[in-house]
Amino acid sequence: MDVQETIKNQVTANPVVLYMKGSPKFPQCGFSGMAVQILQACGVKDLVSVDVLADPAIRDGIKHYANWPTIPQLYIKGEFVGGADIMRDLYEKGDLQKMLAEIGV
Amino acid sequence: MLRAEDVKIYIAQGLSCDYLEVNGDDGQHFEAIVVSKDFIGKNIVQQHQMVYKALGERMKDEIHALSMKTYTPDSWSKK
Repeated sequence: MDVQETIKNQVTANPVVLYMKGSPKFPQCGFSGMAVQILQACGVKDLVSVDVLADPAIRDGIKHYANWPTIPQLYIKGEFVGGADIMRDLYEKGDLQKMLAEIGV
Repeated sequence: MLRAEDVKIYIAQGLSCDYLEVNGDDGQHFEAIVVSKDFIGKNIVQQHQMVYKALGERMKDEIHALSMKTYTPDSWSKK
């Protein structure tokens, strides 16, 4: 399967998907770690994450998928939400909590 | 080593900015405040994409991370 198709399947099959470096328990980058902490603070349990360090094709493909050159990347209901800065802004405004509540996460 | 001043020049070359500030001294991680009229009518994802676009290929290898806050002249003046 084409990598863009694989990513599309991943982000549509799960309500919340975080592309990150490392795992939620062992993030390999401070920005990915912050993204996990924000989602946990929003009450997201069983976070679906994809470790881009484990798959070079995904690591490269995800940058094209949303035309976004950096990791982490958050997707809600298949839509690209943003990277670490945007996640923090949305969280501080209470918008991220609302977006997650709307989809029942 | 890439300096914050270089990143500032790269952004300014690709995007017309009313105000631009870039900080960071480790050569890889930078923080930017970008104010541009071109952000008017764009959402935050699009605004950040415009800054990334100005940096182009440099985002792939030279710059590990760019933390940024983007503002339109209007939202900047109300800050």
